[in-house]
Amino acid sequence: MVYTQKSPALFIIGVIMLAIWYTADSGMLAGYLEHLAHGKKYKYGAELTTIPLYFGLVAAVVGLWQWFGTHTKGNLDYYSSTIAGGMFILLIAMLVRWFIAPEIAGISISMGKVGDTGKYIHKLLGLNYIVIGIVTGLIIVNVFKIPGWAENGVRLSRLGLKTGVILLGTLYSAAELKNLGGLSIVMIGFFVLGSVGMVLWIGARRNIPNSMGGVLSAGMGVCGVSATVAAAPVVQAKSVEIAYTIGTILLWGVGCMFVFPVVGQVLDMSYVQFGAWAGTGILNSAQVAGAALAFQPDGIETLKVAEIFNITRVLVLPIIVLWLAVWYVQREGEGTQKVNVAEVVFQKFPVFVLGFILLFALSSTGVFAPAQHYKGKYFDNTKVKPEKMLTAEKKSTLQAEIDKIQRADRKAAVQRLIENGKIMSIEDDTTVRGLINAKVLSKKSNKILKGAHKAVRHTAKKIKAFRDWITWLFAFGLVGLGMQITIKSMKQAGGQPAVIGGIVGLTKAVLSLIVVMMLIETKI
Amino acid sequence: MNTVNSVLLASHGTEGAMAAEQMAIKMCNAQDAGLHHLIVVPTLWAGMTGDDWLNNGSTRNTFRRYLESTLEKEVDEHIARVKQLAEENGLAYTNEIVIGEPDECLLKTTEKQQYELVVVGSPRPKGITGLRSRMMTQPVSRSLQTPVLMVPYPHD
Repeated sequence: MVYTQKSPALFIIGVIMLAIWYTADSGMLAGYLEHLAHGKKYKYGAELTTIPLYFGLVAAVVGLWQWFGTHTKGNLDYYSSTIAGGMFILLIAMLVRWFIAPEIAGISISMGKVGDTGKYIHKLLGLNYIVIGIVTGLIIVNVFKIPGWAENGVRLSRLGLKTGVILLGTLYSAAELKNLGGLSIVMIGFFVLGSVGMVLWIGARRNIPNSMGGVLSAGMGVCGVSATVAAAPVVQAKSVEIAYTIGTILLWGVGCMFVFPVVGQVLDMSYVQFGAWAGTGILNSAQVAGAALAFQPDGIETLKVAEIFNITRVLVLPIIVLWLAVWYVQREGEGTQKVNVAEVVFQKFPVFVLGFILLFALSSTGVFAPAQHYKGKYFDNTKVKPEKMLTAEKKSTLQAEIDKIQRADRKAAVQRLIENGKIMSIEDDTTVRGLINAKVLSKKSNKILKGAHKAVRHTAKKIKAFRDWITWLFAFGLVGLGMQITIKSMKQAGGQPAVIGGIVGLTKAVLSLIVVMMLIETKI
Repeated sequence: MNTVNSVLLASHGTEGAMAAEQMAIKMCNAQDAGLHHLIVVPTLWAGMTGDDWLNNGSTRNTFRRYLESTLEKEVDEHIARVKQLAEENGLAYTNEIVIGEPDECLLKTTEKQQYELVVVGSPRPKGITGLRSRMMTQPVSRSLQTPVLMVPYPHD
């Protein structure tokens, strides 16, 4: 079979991208971009004048070849058939990030802040380019259907997310990974095992078949659709049980992706709090990433936390599948397949996690960032420009609020900052970042602290590039995943799985919120 | 009542289809008509890997193969049941398995060949296990040129 379709679609996508680049680069879009910036500097100017040019050229050239060239079956044909769909997703991500999301933000700003929340409606609802991108994907697949030429490429979105997670490995410090890893093991361990057990327990009381209990507990407990896909063959779930479970999880997941960021904003949660809560409470792993980026679209601190939880969940998956396999064999006895432990672990092991670990290890050696970056080059007084030092006015602002700080180490770090006009050590910098993220002080003071942090610590160029790539890979992946969520699947939610799923999902979301709010107070 | 020479039994594996099968056999028996059995595998299954991205290709392939074999087994059982009923009653039985939207497939089949009667099951009552995928939708009832017998759901 020849997969590459002779269609002008990819060429047209390339032309649209080049048109975006040309109009932005030549200044033709200047007035419109100014309108989108809402009185500030337009954030994506640099992206607009580079990304559509490179990808537009590739799409136009490959598009011409696909349109007029001869294609024969083979590996080249198969891989080339994915380009059109990939570029289609990318174009949607570009349009949403650069134009549609800022336009919606503008409308929201013009409507004013919501009540006494002090936030605009788009901030409160997390209506940023990630959420709008996923919704656009959902609309495309359910209203217009994915065009035939794009079908193969749309599946590439998974690769985007996995690559994003692998690159994310470059952004963690050993201390962060240790702290977040420990937290995620405790939280995921408790809530995964708790919800798997709870589903099986309720299922037994409501007399649902073992196969349904098995597949539902994996989906509700571990990582949603992914766990359902992994567990269904092991517990020999019937087709209607699979449909019910996946429908329930998708419905819950999409709902949570919209509700969680709103709750996070209303409760003024920190990045670690929200990342940990989303990573534990949201059933489906794709929506964990979506909610994290919806909560914090212009930074990846929340995503970093949430993805550690996602990684922990996927590492737990083979264990849960094994548990369910053994449980199912014990329950059903004869007629069930024997469990091959090594095969299950080998097949279900998430290989991309090894990539994440490798990149983390490489990053720790300083390959991506100069060693002095971590050794505190900028803490030396001679390296900090005088204009970056705290002014007397800023010092008095901080001094006026210092008694709001309860933790002694934080208070001492701020005191040293006030005395010296700059942050004096890596330890103080870490403490001040924690204080910023905990939002203990006023917005004005937090801005001063952020400035003090930036004055002494800069992101290495390569790390900054990784951040940008990660943002794009996740945007690409999530728009593509949106295109794979069909309303027909979600409509299958119902029956006992919907009832049990509702009880367990809600319990997990509420309990994990309480635990997170009680036990976690700072951000990374 | 007019004579019926060919009956189309349209089903896609729901519980209500069982009642329709019995009724179709009765109708064919009474009229000495042939029975054509249309089985639709709904396209909703295509979206059943949803937004899974954590699994590797091997796990997804295992799932797809498992789901396909489960659906195949269910369809085979379904056909075997109706075929046996038809044979027991000495009826001419043919079948056709198609993948698509149930309502669209029903319309296409009736456009392809003429039947005197279409027999379908009625929608599943609330609380009964089954897929949400209807054969008799508004567009079908508007466009179908053949009389339809919708068999009540068995409530016993």
